Amino acid sequence: MAIDEGAILKSELRWAMVVGGIVLVILSAILFAALSMHINPPSNREFADPKTLHTSDEFTEANLGTRVEPDGKVVARIIATQFNFVPDCIVVPAGRDVTLRFTTPDVIHGILVAGTNVNTMIVPGYVAQVHTRFTRTGDLMMPCHEYCGLGHSQMIATVRVVPPGAFRPAADGRIACGERRPA
Amino acid sequence: MARQTDLVPDDGGVSPAGAPAEQRALDRPWRLWASIIVAGALLVGALIGFVLIPAGQAGNANLSLYEAVCRALGIRSGSPAQVQPVSSAVSVPVSEVSWDPAVMRILAEGNSRRGAAIAAQTCASCHGDKGLSQSDVPALAGQSPYAIYKQLADYRSGARAHPQMTGVAKALSVPDLAAVSAYFAAASKEYAAIGARDLVSEVEIERLAREGNSRRRIPACLSCHLNGVGGPIETPVIIGQNDDYLLAQMNAYASGQRRNDVYGRMRDISAKLTPAERAALARYFQGTL
Repeated sequence: MAIDEGAILKSELRWAMVVGGIVLVILSAILFAALSMHINPPSNREFADPKTLHTSDEFTEANLGTRVEPDGKVVARIIATQFNFVPDCIVVPAGRDVTLRFTTPDVIHGILVAGTNVNTMIVPGYVAQVHTRFTRTGDLMMPCHEYCGLGHSQMIATVRVVPPGAFRPAADGRIACGERRPA
Repeated sequence: MARQTDLVPDDGGVSPAGAPAEQRALDRPWRLWASIIVAGALLVGALIGFVLIPAGQAGNANLSLYEAVCRALGIRSGSPAQVQPVSSAVSVPVSEVSWDPAVMRILAEGNSRRGAAIAAQTCASCHGDKGLSQSDVPALAGQSPYAIYKQLADYRSGARAHPQMTGVAKALSVPDLAAVSAYFAAASKEYAAIGARDLVSEVEIERLAREGNSRRRIPACLSCHLNGVGGPIETPVIIGQNDDYLLAQMNAYASGQRRNDVYGRMRDISAKLTPAERAALARYFQGTL
């Protein structure tokens, strides 16, 4: 049975249009997410020596948690470690730009806050940084979403989003959930 | 010769690999258009990734369009944010031990013969012959050299305090600490089987030790406290450890009295455990060998 070359060409064209359409839809989804929801691969490239994090200036134990910097920026520093986050609860204000900075002394971890654009891997040797603005108040779950070892499923932190009026940092700009740990 | 010419089909002078001439003519515009479409898709993709998205995000991070595009292309290093001001907080490390190559080399070179001599002189009276002790003095046989070195170094630096150990560790040099650590680590294989004690088999406690508790965010003890599973390298092996000692340490962590656990992992976990659970876990680990 002879097949007409023209018919084959038409069929190929139709399939090419289908594939082209799928590529177009995916590209527009990426574009929409990136521009309107600020969801994009975090592109911060900043190094941090995992061996000496605990003796470093920024990620030393006493410096972790939420802090309002002198210039008014809200920055939360969190260590992801086998198998918990330090601190495992952070307080942030609703409706204000918040910068979350993560790093790890051991293995690859990941974090995700459902319903927000906070979603990044935390890779040893690098600082993972996310800019966000929380709109809903309440306790949000921030689980580790990159398998990191046997205690992975117990590795969950809380992001406590409070109304701007209830966000009252201490004189040094720090604010923590409940009792501060003996440091 | 004749056989070979037979193999070449009569295709009107086109090379054997190619399609017939009329089909090639039919394909030509299609190939042209396909190339244009692929090139166009690449161009559009590059435009989106390197110009459009950086342009949309530049304002977010207070960058100029040029800077944002350069960073997206990887020409300029940096992030969509400026370098963060390093906190003004003073670094007050809980422990000064960091596992850099220099320390690892010291441990690798730890002379266990010298360690044996120091151990016999200094350690044996409390920690027992070959590191097998009783009651609230920790047993050292079966321990990893990193765990022993970390604790000795912390006693030396003051990150951990003990009426006797602080003085002992300060009297030893750093290579001596490594030698002692190497000695007790080597002693483990020979003596690890000694000391099988009463087994505790409470279901809840065993579950806590083996699986942890997700609701209370308590990771399983054994996700770190076994050789080579997880957690920091200095995590001690606690199986077969004396229960009085284990309980005292968990209580000290919970109250914040002991704080040389980097990033407070054990302070956090101990505080989440009830006093009864701490006691049961201490018994469980003494008995599990």
